[in-house]
Amino acid sequence: MGKQVTEMLKGVLEGIVLAILSGRPAHGYEITAWLRDQGFSDIAEGTIYALLIRIEQRGLVDVEKVPSEKGPPRKVYSLNAQGRAYLEEFWRTWSFLTERLEQLHERGN
Amino acid sequence: METGSNEPKSRYRQYLEVVTGPLQDKRRWRQYKARVKELPENYRTAVEALERYLMTFGPGDSTEAASMYEDLADLFERSAADGTPIREIFGENPVEFVEAFAQNYSVGSWIGRERERLTSAIERAAGENTGKEERTV
Repeated sequence: MGKQVTEMLKGVLEGIVLAILSGRPAHGYEITAWLRDQGFSDIAEGTIYALLIRIEQRGLVDVEKVPSEKGPPRKVYSLNAQGRAYLEEFWRTWSFLTERLEQLHERGN
Repeated sequence: METGSNEPKSRYRQYLEVVTGPLQDKRRWRQYKARVKELPENYRTAVEALERYLMTFGPGDSTEAASMYEDLADLFERSAADGTPIREIFGENPVEFVEAFAQNYSVGSWIGRERERLTSAIERAAGENTGKEERTV
């Protein structure tokens, strides 16, 4: 499953991160830790960081720098209105995909 | 914080920057290098390896590059403070990470220019008129 799940995740990782942020604001480390807890153990922290920079540049999240006990301040990301609209579109696309795939799956059985 | 960065540049400085690139970017580059120096050794080694790769495949625009290296320093300072293992930052494939990262700063990179050139060449070959001026070198 390892390699395949990594490949499949690439296309949906952005949606996953936005979905996490729709629950509550979070920083990169929290997001990565949560994903690892959920069994996505191959997720690289750097990949999440690159993704967070991208969604920030595209205006889907708001960023706040929060002081940390140890080390430099953490960037805390929260979903904004544009991000919410984008996430809704992501779920519509996801439903479309899973429906079609499920049909294929059933036909194959 | 340095003051006076919003003042109009002197004529001398304008000429100088044509040759050297913006001085502000050079200052940011030096600050980045100083931050990297402070990192624990294995994090520093990792950043320097990334830096070498990004020199070739990263942005060609110096302001874009300055932002990129600052973001890189942010990541590694934070990771060092959290004690995140190097392999957890990079994952199995370091190239994948660095490519995803570098794509956020594509302004002026030769690879970005080549991608644009390919896209518009195929548009022409496919007979699509996109109304964009084609520049051939």
